[in-house]
Amino acid sequence: MDVSDILAAHAEKQKAVAVEKDIPLEVDAGFLAVTDLNPVDTESYGEDLEEYLQSTARDGVQALINALFALPTTPSADGPLAQLPPPTTQLPRAKHLPKPKPPTKWEQFARAKGIQKKRKDKKVWDEEKQDWVDRWGWKGANKKEETQWLSEVRANADVDHDPAKAARDARKEKMAKNERQHQQNLARAQGASASATAPAPPQERKKQIDRTLATTRSSTASMGKFDRKLEGEKKLKGVKRKFDPTEVSASNEKSHNLAILQGLDRGPTAKKSRSSGDDVLNVRKAIRVASKGKGSAALSREGGGAKSRSNKGRR
Amino acid sequence: MLRTVKPKNARSKRVLLAREPKEVEDPRTAIFVNGTHAGEKVKSVMKELMALKRPHAISFSKKNAVRPFEDASSLEFWAQKNDASLFVVGQTTKKRPDGMVFVRMYDGRVLDMCEVGVDRFVSMQEFKTPKSTPGHKPMMHFASELFDTHPRFMQLKSMLISFFNGEAIDSISLAGLEHVISVSVGPTPASLTSTAAAASATLGPTASTSTTSDSALLPKVHIRAYTIRLLASGVRTPRIELTPMGPSLDLSLRRHTDADAEVLKQALKRPTLRKQEVEKGLGRKRKNLEVDEMGDLRGRIHVGKQDLGRLQTRKMKGLKGARADAMDVDVDDDADDDADASGSEGSRTKRRRSE
Repeated sequence: MDVSDILAAHAEKQKAVAVEKDIPLEVDAGFLAVTDLNPVDTESYGEDLEEYLQSTARDGVQALINALFALPTTPSADGPLAQLPPPTTQLPRAKHLPKPKPPTKWEQFARAKGIQKKRKDKKVWDEEKQDWVDRWGWKGANKKEETQWLSEVRANADVDHDPAKAARDARKEKMAKNERQHQQNLARAQGASASATAPAPPQERKKQIDRTLATTRSSTASMGKFDRKLEGEKKLKGVKRKFDPTEVSASNEKSHNLAILQGLDRGPTAKKSRSSGDDVLNVRKAIRVASKGKGSAALSREGGGAKSRSNKGRR
Repeated sequence: MLRTVKPKNARSKRVLLAREPKEVEDPRTAIFVNGTHAGEKVKSVMKELMALKRPHAISFSKKNAVRPFEDASSLEFWAQKNDASLFVVGQTTKKRPDGMVFVRMYDGRVLDMCEVGVDRFVSMQEFKTPKSTPGHKPMMHFASELFDTHPRFMQLKSMLISFFNGEAIDSISLAGLEHVISVSVGPTPASLTSTAAAASATLGPTASTSTTSDSALLPKVHIRAYTIRLLASGVRTPRIELTPMGPSLDLSLRRHTDADAEVLKQALKRPTLRKQEVEKGLGRKRKNLEVDEMGDLRGRIHVGKQDLGRLQTRKMKGLKGARADAMDVDVDDDADDDADASGSEGSRTKRRRSE
């Protein structure tokens, strides 16, 4: 059997799409780009520019199309899609790479414990409606207890107990808690980045100082009424002295006074236990003073003179 | 710098979110800026480039006193305001007639610039041929060895790919390939072919802008756009024929600014791909997956060894802890059930017995 005809025919067919060049063309299929590194043919360039440009472009595009048609394809509604490889040409990005978000407290905990993230569906099945409803939001399933026409009330519940209100309060409380935690996470993320780079911004710093000032004012008995005022200092609002009522029940008064007496009894011992020995002398401080900061070893070397000095410190 | 705005409603929040940096970037938006005197030719060139770049193109058609090589602050402002990262500034002066400056931005700052002069321009309308569909991705063709050796042309190539094609996509419909933008360079002059000249050329651009005498030596750049026709060839790959579509431009390179090495390094950083994406990628071995001769995808999974000792079988009373007592009672009960065919009588006896 002679197959030379078939082979010749096949070669003929291939010739129509093959591209012959001295230097093979560089194809970057990811960017649909092809680079022809062959030197310009000066003769044909000078002779007919447009014709020359079109013929080189045709060869280049043919090579690119050959590469693209050889790629694996996936079927789709609008014809086959060629799966492109990642581009080989390095192009600069338009924006920097996204910075990873600092993990929330829960994420840190979950990672430490190896807890996998479980994604909840946004919809839940409602048996009554026989339909999928949103878990939260408008007509969400989390408001079911507030809207149902009948709800269970415990036998020992208050007279004015409103189950719908209780459920709503619980839901609102949950929302508030979530928001609080969100803010804390933001502050923690901010703090982590801020402490790494620079001190708090002036606005923050001002707020902190104001808070400290308010605390110091409320710590005197007169609530800072007689403190020296700074220029432009505002009067603190909502801070009032608190007095115990003049008339209290006998038992209350008794327990209050006893507590004071007990405190008097206990006070000195508590103080004593905090210091190193059982007397009032702070031995470490005394040694430090006596040895002029050199320590007990230096003191013992000096001998008796030093001892008498340490005794002088005792009162 | 623009002040950073805190979104007040959901819509603006979504917009700001869409503008945040992403791992895989969107196509670059180009702003076409008319300078103080753009000139008829440059205006029409920019119009046609914009037609090719649509829909990611914005036109600033009023006169703008902007000189990118002297002060890029307004470009930076516009880039942030419009979320654009490419500029084409058209300006005609006596010294540099019909000039266009291609500016590329990184992170809201100018990365590099390349000025070209338009020597010849043939509009799209002068070719009475079919045009490509707006929004389709063009193919790019570069023809010259200078695109691999000369820094000016390497920059031009990178700039033009960024301009027309700079978004990484993972698949493309082969039927949607309609046109090609071909960038060719005239014959390489002898001064650029020798290695010494190439070395001097590489050294030259270390200064921020190259001199005019340097640029005069560079060959011309021909940009052509063609639509493609796919002809049946008898094999799977079709034969390609090109039809000029326009615009066709002859450009000469003028001033330029190279990217700062440090910034360029930042801009070229790639995201570390997740394992899942690597496995999805082409040409890489997907482990434990194979296609059998019937064309079915078969997977092999590994299941850990099962601990049969802790297997929970059916719970039965008889298998519980205090076995002996329970056994006795059960036997008696059975005997009773057999004796009188079940009823109130039987259950009563059962209770008595078990007590």
